[in-house]
Amino acid sequence: MKKKYLLYILVLALFTACEPKIDEFTPEKGNADLTTYLAMGNSLTSGYASGALYISGQENSYPNILAGQFELAGGGTFTQPMMTTEAGVGIGSLGLSSKLVLGMSTDCLGTTSLGPVPFDPAPDQQAYSAELFTSVAVDGPYNNIGVPGIKAFHALVPGLGELNPFYGRFATDPATDMLIGEVAKVNPTFFTLWLGNNDVLTYALAGGVLDSITPVPVFSGAMDAIVGTLTANGAKGAIANIPDITAIPYFTTVPYNGLPVTDEASVAALNFGYAPLNAIINQYNGDTLAFTLGANPFVIADASLPWGMRQIKAGELVLLSIPQDSIKCAGWGSLVPIPEQYVLKADQITEIETATMAYNDKIAELAGTFSLAFIDMNTYLTDFETGMVFDGATYSTRYILGGLFSLDGIHLNPRGNALVANYFIDAINVEYNANLPKVIIQDYDGIQFP
Amino acid sequence: MQTSKINFMKKITLLLTFVSMLTWSAFAGGYQVRLQGQKQTGFGLIGTPFSFGASSIFYNPGALSMMKAKTSFQIGASGILSNITFQKSATNYQAKTDNPLGTPFYFYGATKITDKLAVGVGVYTPFGSSAKWDNNWAGRFLIQNISLSAIFIQPTLSYKINDMISIGAGFVYAMGNVELNKALPYNDNSSANLVGSTSSMGYNLGVYFKPIEALSIGVDYRSEIIMEMEGGDAIFTVPASLSTTISKNNKFSASLPMPGNLDVGISYNITEKFMVAAEINYVFWSVYDSLNFTFEENGELLNSNNPRLYENVMIIRLGGQYILNDKFTVRVGGYYDPSPTNENYFTPETVSLNTTAFTCGFTYKPMKNLCIDVSYLHTLGAETDNSYDPGNFAGTYKTQASIPGIGISYNF
Repeated sequence: MKKKYLLYILVLALFTACEPKIDEFTPEKGNADLTTYLAMGNSLTSGYASGALYISGQENSYPNILAGQFELAGGGTFTQPMMTTEAGVGIGSLGLSSKLVLGMSTDCLGTTSLGPVPFDPAPDQQAYSAELFTSVAVDGPYNNIGVPGIKAFHALVPGLGELNPFYGRFATDPATDMLIGEVAKVNPTFFTLWLGNNDVLTYALAGGVLDSITPVPVFSGAMDAIVGTLTANGAKGAIANIPDITAIPYFTTVPYNGLPVTDEASVAALNFGYAPLNAIINQYNGDTLAFTLGANPFVIADASLPWGMRQIKAGELVLLSIPQDSIKCAGWGSLVPIPEQYVLKADQITEIETATMAYNDKIAELAGTFSLAFIDMNTYLTDFETGMVFDGATYSTRYILGGLFSLDGIHLNPRGNALVANYFIDAINVEYNANLPKVIIQDYDGIQFP
Repeated sequence: MQTSKINFMKKITLLLTFVSMLTWSAFAGGYQVRLQGQKQTGFGLIGTPFSFGASSIFYNPGALSMMKAKTSFQIGASGILSNITFQKSATNYQAKTDNPLGTPFYFYGATKITDKLAVGVGVYTPFGSSAKWDNNWAGRFLIQNISLSAIFIQPTLSYKINDMISIGAGFVYAMGNVELNKALPYNDNSSANLVGSTSSMGYNLGVYFKPIEALSIGVDYRSEIIMEMEGGDAIFTVPASLSTTISKNNKFSASLPMPGNLDVGISYNITEKFMVAAEINYVFWSVYDSLNFTFEENGELLNSNNPRLYENVMIIRLGGQYILNDKFTVRVGGYYDPSPTNENYFTPETVSLNTTAFTCGFTYKPMKNLCIDVSYLHTLGAETDNSYDPGNFAGTYKTQASIPGIGISYNF
């Protein structure tokens, strides 16, 4: 009898045993009403990555990731003006182009190496044009109104759709609509706003030779109007500030002293070649050009000097857009000064940083005034300069291998967007006493090595 | 750009921080398994104050020469059905392990050469286990799966000084195997596979004291054994574009300590049929301070020192035995086994929590010399928030294990 009883316990225990239970996470919206979420911003918000706007980039935009988490706490449907191809469309100097992927390419020296290559090496301009200009407004209004390329004040420009096809394709009337008008159409209960990057970035990307930095009063006025509109119906939201350009791989990947001189003969030849110019420079008490064995600062064009060139200084930036073959095979940076559009000089960097700080002051002020969740993206990105570890993998702001930025060195890859979404969630949870779950960063694609 | 490419190739290998590696996620403290006798298992895993025949070789070599039979053989095995649940902090993500069945076993044979001197040999598995997480789980860059087995062979001598006290000593030859897999962040299929085996030596000393018929006391010390692994095989599955940067086949060295144990137990016969016992085990886990890997190739980039910072623990055990009749004896027991891990250096490779356990078992004696011993052990690892700070991986863990066991004793 007792034996039977014991056996019974044994069998019962065996089948009921395993599967320890931990209480599931309980998502709570707190004081935020997430029913209708509107995401406003620029390319970072739209899902633009690796130099183009394309399907999987949009699917992995930080607003779309956020909307997925909002859904767990009462969030509704979230729509985006989807592209129809995975190649996507980007606007480059040579016309419309596809996204970049990691692949092998051969340089002018015949060396094959891994780096960014176009997904579509021969983009059919007509087809790309059709993809970019075909209106998807009929399926609108959209919850994600991020528009690549826009500055803050562009949101208030009537007919923006005529100037910017990324808005034009989802504007009801591209010739007259203002982007800010989309807000009333969606009538959000909650919004995110990450805007202002292009107010300095467009200038920075052009090496300071095209475009200009938006004057702070213009930026501030635009942001006042935008936040005023977003909150007009009582919507709550989150606002992020903008990162310093020195945290973005586009500006930090090519070192200022990227000119290696590997033998004494070359050192002597360069110094001899520049001797006549140095003689002139000496008459003006200017900075002469000098080369030593090892890493040397590039020679760059500088129109502010009577003789038009100098060596770049530590802290000045060479842009990722610089044609590598011109450095390797055409003497750029040594025999030929690097043209100004590929360089940010100290005074330009100061201008950019001053403006960035002023913009960020304004953004912080708005967050305070309107009691918005505030995301200090500038500080977060700085933290990543030395690398941060998540779930056993290290991420940093380094180009490609940092694992956060897409191949254009400006926009984030899906993992970077997931990280941004988590920072938004942190801030929203604090500000609105909510309990939204964060996402698992590595469940989103990083750079996929071929 | 050229420079940046070179830099990034170099740096890629730096990403290969072997933050976590070797280990045995077990059902109990650290990766120790004390299932070396079914009678003892049913008795709350108490063993030191008993003379249950040849299994004294493991629990207390001192008691071996006190066994009643001239010759004793014992053989048995258990099945560990263990499960771990993980809730990642600040997310709605939960993961569960799909652990394979762990099968610790033992075999002992002993005989008395003279009335006072007994010799024996034991083969048993005091350390081991496995953890199998999903290959795509959130902690995959720390560990995907790991399995360990260690087999100890212990020739033993035991001497009865008089009817009250006996002593014993065993030499331990230990063989260990480990295999582990972890994902690497280059693409969806990148991973590292490490396989190694090694052997080492140690000892086991015990004293058995029986001042009066009803009372016995045992003290046992099992030495720590450091398993030094040299030249283990490391296979890296990386994308073709990185094949020149990270070689597919590499060798690694690492060392893993198996901690020493000091056990003190006491048993008392309240009646002829009813015996109770208590034991404490002091486990010298602090020897497991870090897990360090050295690789033969690209060592300057791949080598890693990973803190574990274990602390010594004391396990408290209680149990009782009742002889029902000539054929049946039943046992129950329980114990509390605190985790030796550090809450800030807690990795999903060894999910060791503060564990409460219940045991029961019985012996059926179908004929004079033969015993069939059955035990059942159920453990509950308390729900605990832990983090592995170097990998920034935090969450709540909870464990449970069901361990049935069966064994045969043949004494004559």
